[in-house]
Amino acid sequence: MSPLDTSLMDPPNPSATLERPKDYLHESHTLRSWFFTTDHKRIAVMYLFAITVFFVIGAIAAGLVRLSLVVPNGEIFTSDTYNKLFTIHGVVMVWFFLIPSIPATFGNFLLPLMIGAKDLAFPRLNLLSWYIFCAGSLFAVFDIIIGGVDTGWTFYAPFSTTFSNTWVVPALIGVIIAGFSSILTGLNFVVTIHTMRAPGMTWFRMPIFVWTHYAVSLIFLLATPVITMALILLVLERSFNIGIFDPTLGGDPVLFEHLFWFYSHPAVYIMVLPGMGVISEIVPAFAQKKIFGYRFIAYASIALASLTFFVWGHHMFVNGESDTAALVFSVLSFAVAVPSAVKVYNWTATIYKGSIRLKTPMIYAMGYIGLFVIGGLTGLFLATLSINEHVHGTYFVVAHFHYIMVGGTVLAFLGGLHFWWPKFTGRMYPEGWGLVSAVFIFIGFNATFFPQFLLGYLGMPRRYHDYPPEFQILNVMSSVGALVLAAGYIFPMVYLVWSLWFGKRAPANPWDAKGLEWTTSSPPPTHNFITPPVVDFEPYDYPMETPGDAR
Amino acid sequence: MRAEAASIIGAPVGIETHEQFSNPAQQKHAAELGMWAWLLTELLLFGGLFLIALVLRYQYPDSVHAAALHLKFWIGAANTAILICSSLTMSGAIMLSRLGGQRWMVRCMLATAALGSLFLVLKGYEWFADWQEHMTPFLPGPYALEGDAQSRLFVNLYFVTTALHGLHLTTGVAILLGLTWMAKQPDFLVKHQNRIEIYGLYWHFIDLIWIMAFAVLYVVGR
Repeated sequence: MSPLDTSLMDPPNPSATLERPKDYLHESHTLRSWFFTTDHKRIAVMYLFAITVFFVIGAIAAGLVRLSLVVPNGEIFTSDTYNKLFTIHGVVMVWFFLIPSIPATFGNFLLPLMIGAKDLAFPRLNLLSWYIFCAGSLFAVFDIIIGGVDTGWTFYAPFSTTFSNTWVVPALIGVIIAGFSSILTGLNFVVTIHTMRAPGMTWFRMPIFVWTHYAVSLIFLLATPVITMALILLVLERSFNIGIFDPTLGGDPVLFEHLFWFYSHPAVYIMVLPGMGVISEIVPAFAQKKIFGYRFIAYASIALASLTFFVWGHHMFVNGESDTAALVFSVLSFAVAVPSAVKVYNWTATIYKGSIRLKTPMIYAMGYIGLFVIGGLTGLFLATLSINEHVHGTYFVVAHFHYIMVGGTVLAFLGGLHFWWPKFTGRMYPEGWGLVSAVFIFIGFNATFFPQFLLGYLGMPRRYHDYPPEFQILNVMSSVGALVLAAGYIFPMVYLVWSLWFGKRAPANPWDAKGLEWTTSSPPPTHNFITPPVVDFEPYDYPMETPGDAR
Repeated sequence: MRAEAASIIGAPVGIETHEQFSNPAQQKHAAELGMWAWLLTELLLFGGLFLIALVLRYQYPDSVHAAALHLKFWIGAANTAILICSSLTMSGAIMLSRLGGQRWMVRCMLATAALGSLFLVLKGYEWFADWQEHMTPFLPGPYALEGDAQSRLFVNLYFVTTALHGLHLTTGVAILLGLTWMAKQPDFLVKHQNRIEIYGLYWHFIDLIWIMAFAVLYVVGR
């Protein structure tokens, strides 16, 4: 053996930085490389920035609303200011945070990774969606700066068309434009899921996250155009007085409400379904157990997306709906509980006898399940005609949908953010702080919104800031809860940013989780996988099997 | 002669695969599905207006009838015929693009754009005639059916629907002209034959929307 025969020597240490391709974050550093990127991962990060800005705006407005409600006589703000505050809170949170939140960030980032694709089907369209979203959001910010709008996030006619003398039109235009961004995102997802799956990635090997995003994309495609039209008609009503929603000309304001809720009830599932997808990934990973009833959860997602188109009338039980229509909508609304409950039972059954690790994402997931159950069950109260008559338009409704939107979607969002943070950034978040903030949010959330169930049941109407003094104690409790909740939101904003520089380096799969996104490096390279993956395994292939798992 | 006939068709045809796709068939499937999904949203966008037309006809049949009699039925019918012809020329362009007949494909596309523009000219004239007859209740000034408040709703809906359709057609013609300019480049069909197919879907769909709008606004209960 010649000493110069290098082929028989120990191989040199592979250099981590030189051997592998650069990850998507370090591929290039110029601003241009971000603003003109077509990489779905970078676009997801840009969405994360954009919606965080809106979350902060919406949260500040919410904080001011809670501040105003500390005293019963509405002394802190004038009625007009109060109306604008809750409208800004609603418009910004619903249209510019909750609807894009999980799909546009996690969906964008993870969908191609989870199905083993290089990118979405239409990367440039994806970038365009982000710019469209920003264009819409500029209108919203402009609206807030020039004086705000006081219609509530629902823009009900005839108040929004005839009576409101605030800046309704810019807000409407902002929402219309942002709607196109949702449509294009949904279109991109549907096409990607249909055509871009890796070899071997059959429909029933897709993670539930992908199934829920498929369901959500169908809602984006089928529901959003209807509200776009309804809002365009509102703009025309205000500018040209076309009369279609104007009762003085024979138009029908309730027609607007029908068109509005035909979108906006499915929009609830735009906000909820992606969160369910996130929970369906977190729960098996932290129970190290195969998800219970995979096919049932997949079908339940599609069932929810279908049923949700037939229940919009339950928002209008007291708006002159006929008894027959009300009965039908009530029954259909009850039917929604079935697929929702299927999911909750399946998550619970997955956790049952799993080898559970109580890390931050799991705490959020378990919080989600509990709060979603409360939110869902109170939804059944509201679907009951006689109870609805009593609590319609009260704080009971406010508490109900906050349990779904915040207790559901926002907790899922934060859980997912912690779960995939190592994948997004290549850094671990500080676990201790993560747990503290999760607990703060759970306690703060319940302290804020549980009293509102009581307030609503006792008869306090929503959107009023001048209320009888006997409601003060519950309102103060709610406002104090909002402070705790705010602290819970501020912690992650600080420690997640801190972790970008000082967090521990993340391995490819810090949670021993299953799924293609964990097989690539953290953060992933620009085209996601160094060698294109071939799928020859079942989804959620965790070591522990669930006995009796229906497949 | 024979050589000339052969030069009409038979050039190589194909598509250039984008980097996110693994083969041309996948790209073609994605592009087609994407356009169909977009057309679905368009259908629902117009669906809202058709629903309102239905509601108005149900609530105020007499007012809607009176207003509908003022619509220029024959201009609408002529426009329907024009758009159907334009769909025929667009189909011709698609067929020729598949066969590799670039020069005649471009001519078919120009004919399609011309027919689309003719539609817009006639539509513009129709709106002008409406204005002259005081059938524009959303503008200040006199209104021909002053005593009948509900008729305003239908006339306004007619303007919203036709304007939205006109906007789609204007965009369509603009994109078509841009596409035609690209399609004249020598190696267009080798790289981008797909674009003609996808665009064709959109054009046919605008045509279809007009046929529905014509039926809903002009024809029913005339």
